[in-house]
Amino acid sequence: MELQPIYIQILALVLFTLGLVTALARRNVFFVLMGVELALNAVNLSFVGFAKTLPAAESVAGQIVPLFSIAVAAAEACVGLALVILIFRNRESVDSDNYSNMKG
Amino acid sequence: MTNLPLWIIPLFPLLGTILLGTIALISSGSKKGPSEGFVGALSVLFPAISFLCVVLLAFGMPEEGIRQTLCNWIDIPMLKVDIGFLFDGLSRVMLLFVTGIGSLIALYSIGYMHGDRGFTRFFAYINLFLFSMIVLVLSDSLLLTFLGWEGVGLCSYLLIGFWNHDLNNCKAANKAFIVNRVGDIGFLLGMLCLATLGGSAILNYDALNKFIEMLIAGGHVELATPIIAVAGLLFFVGCTGKSAQIPLLTWLPDAMAGPTPVSALIHAATMVTSGVYLLARLSRMFSVIPEVLVVVLIVGMLTAFWAAVAGLFQNDIKKVLAYSTISQLGYMFMAAGAFAFDASIFHVFTHAFFKAALFLGAGAVIHALAGEQDMRRMGGLIKKTPVTACVMIFAFLAIIGFPGFAGFWSKDLILERLYTNAPFGEFFYFAGLLTAVITAVYMGRLIIMTFFGEYRGSKEKEAHIHEAPASMLIPMVILAFGAVFAGYLWADSMGIKFFEQTLAPVVSDAQNYALGRISVAHVNPMTFACFGTAAALLGMIIAYVIYGTKRLPRLHKKWGSAPEGFKADWTFFFDYIHEIFIVMTKAFAFIADMIVDKILQGIQWTVGAIVEIVGDGVSSFQARKVRVQLTLSLVGVVALIAVVLMTGGLI
Amino acid sequence: MLALIYFIILAVIAVGAAACVLLSKHPLYGGLSLVLTMLSLAGIYGLLGSPFIGVVQIMVYAGAIMMLLVFVISVLNAAKDNKTPMFDGVSIFVVIGVLGLAGLVGFALVLSPLGFDASTLRGSVEMTSKNLFDTAQTGPGYFVLFEVLGLLLLSSMGAAVLMAKKRLGTDEAVVEEKEEK
Repeated sequence: MELQPIYIQILALVLFTLGLVTALARRNVFFVLMGVELALNAVNLSFVGFAKTLPAAESVAGQIVPLFSIAVAAAEACVGLALVILIFRNRESVDSDNYSNMKG
Repeated sequence: MTNLPLWIIPLFPLLGTILLGTIALISSGSKKGPSEGFVGALSVLFPAISFLCVVLLAFGMPEEGIRQTLCNWIDIPMLKVDIGFLFDGLSRVMLLFVTGIGSLIALYSIGYMHGDRGFTRFFAYINLFLFSMIVLVLSDSLLLTFLGWEGVGLCSYLLIGFWNHDLNNCKAANKAFIVNRVGDIGFLLGMLCLATLGGSAILNYDALNKFIEMLIAGGHVELATPIIAVAGLLFFVGCTGKSAQIPLLTWLPDAMAGPTPVSALIHAATMVTSGVYLLARLSRMFSVIPEVLVVVLIVGMLTAFWAAVAGLFQNDIKKVLAYSTISQLGYMFMAAGAFAFDASIFHVFTHAFFKAALFLGAGAVIHALAGEQDMRRMGGLIKKTPVTACVMIFAFLAIIGFPGFAGFWSKDLILERLYTNAPFGEFFYFAGLLTAVITAVYMGRLIIMTFFGEYRGSKEKEAHIHEAPASMLIPMVILAFGAVFAGYLWADSMGIKFFEQTLAPVVSDAQNYALGRISVAHVNPMTFACFGTAAALLGMIIAYVIYGTKRLPRLHKKWGSAPEGFKADWTFFFDYIHEIFIVMTKAFAFIADMIVDKILQGIQWTVGAIVEIVGDGVSSFQARKVRVQLTLSLVGVVALIAVVLMTGGLI
Repeated sequence: MLALIYFIILAVIAVGAAACVLLSKHPLYGGLSLVLTMLSLAGIYGLLGSPFIGVVQIMVYAGAIMMLLVFVISVLNAAKDNKTPMFDGVSIFVVIGVLGLAGLVGFALVLSPLGFDASTLRGSVEMTSKNLFDTAQTGPGYFVLFEVLGLLLLSSMGAAVLMAKKRLGTDEAVVEEKEEK
């Protein structure tokens, strides 16, 4: 038994699924954010796993794109949390189902 | 003496502006305001120092002029302009009378504006005006001239609307400013035209002259003529705005809403002549485009004639003078149109004296009558205010061209040049002569209605009539001397040609080049002098016959002119034309508005309605929950993947 | 073999922590569990020969982003909302949809043949930096992207500050001023 690339992909898939479920099923807006982060992580893992199946010289994208996606995730978390604070101040609620009215 | 730097001339009025402006701002809160004596002394001091500098420089000036570059103004790719000054024969003449008459009028204003709440503000404006005017005439490039050009326009606006508690004054100020904008666009576009020809460097006067010389020497004039002609026409549009020529002349009669010293300084002696100055300054350029000069000639003739006729029907003493100013400016443009740039500047010079004297005299009369401007309520003032009357009569003799007075020399010179130089010279000569007769008639009417006959006002007012204070009389007397003797600087028939020699380095090249192509008729100058004298005498006799008898006052109900106000009499013709343009613009705007408002919005509404109906249908599928919608989209993704897998796209 | 054992341990921790995120009641616990997931994922990156990404994962994700999240949760003390149910009717629908997606993707994954490349180390700092900044070798694309990312971070920071600050003059700010007095 050796470590197979498919295991990594399946782990990534499981984490992605859990992340998606967290993001969509939970109503607390913080869990929505965390679910998105988890899904992003899973995608990163998938990238790195696929990169491992290629020769080192050709797997450049698989090494670099996760870095960028982490940076974008940082930006996303920054703006997302600011939004949460803003909405929370307006609505006094963290229930994402309350945010159904588009007009501030 | 020549080592005096040139920037010192505009420096002093600028200092005065800043100082007086600061005083005005600081004292705006206090009830009494600053001491009038102190402010008055300051406001006369700065222009006077400036005048002194000009005099010192003028005597030490070398033949070809002084050129100094103060500093770099704009330095970007494609555009490099320096702040440079050019002091030559032309600027010397202009500066001498701008600063000289400016100082005199500042002195006069101390008496005239006595007790006014805006005393300090007024002098700050006057100093700012002098600064701008000096920049205008002293600059060595068109761009800096334009700066001064705009500056004097601004000051004109500020001073016309000086008594801004009256809405009519504000309207008159707005009118002057907006009409001038039209002309200024011409100036700007003219500069752009020139810049397309030779880059921004050509905006310098010396460079422009060299460029034209080069064209002539290289024989390429025909190639460049179309653009130069367009540029010349555009500059001329700018001149018509500033100098109140047809069609942009309606603002000047309304500009009389300002204080009388302002009318004398800005709207008679200096600012309105800047158009003539520009023509003379660009004479080298205009000399290669005689076609444009014909336009200038015709416009000048029409303006001179029309304004003279309009002047016959005015009852407001200042408006008569305003129309006579327009008429005299018409003469100057006629002279420029006949390649006689030196004669036109000479007329500017003499006109500045006698018209300033006339305006100051009118101001003294108004002052004596406590604000009365309607000539129908004057009369017989020669007994009450003899000095004012003498000054005005001298100036009157000068403006109608009575032999020996200033106007005689300059006007006869213009008429002579018209006859000899201009195409169809005889026609223009007789038009000018006829205008001179009319000038004598309406000026005679003004003098007769104001100073002779019986006083026609109320008795109480008659008791209050008094001679103006000394601070007003001294400038008037000095100007009256100017009105009498200024003409002897170029008394052609007496062989004195000092003025011509002064201007020769600037304009003689252009004139010789332009005249080289046409044959100059030679007529004895005495003939013209006789005709001119005859015209003046004829006009005086007509005026005496019509107005000198008992038939005063001629009260035209229909054209009854209010003492002050927005609509000047007899501008209605041009006001109507302007009105038509405005109405056309409005109609166009209305049509455009209709298209945008009704048709485009109709389309918009239709599209919007369709979208709305469709959206209403779709929105019934929508739950107001983000999660549900996201999950629905997820289901969509699942379906997509399923389709891909089933069609074998992945494997 | 050893790699597989490590992988299984790390994977179990990751999945367990992720499940904790899904099932925890308070967002603070969820956040801390997420940190654990990320740490174990960093271990897997190391295992796969990309230690640089692993370190960045720990520093940026677990260190910065999650700390920010936990911090905000602590500041907004109303983040724990007892009135809001953890799951509702929509959740069932979501779970079915996501499981469907996972099943299909998993099916596709199992069908595709994959094999590891022999070279062990591929994501060292040296190699990554060479890929990123050696424009002669990989072209300017990644480098430009890197710069753009800097801009993105800067602008998102600005946006966050702009959104989260209290607007002066609004009712809220006025009320708070009164309260302070």
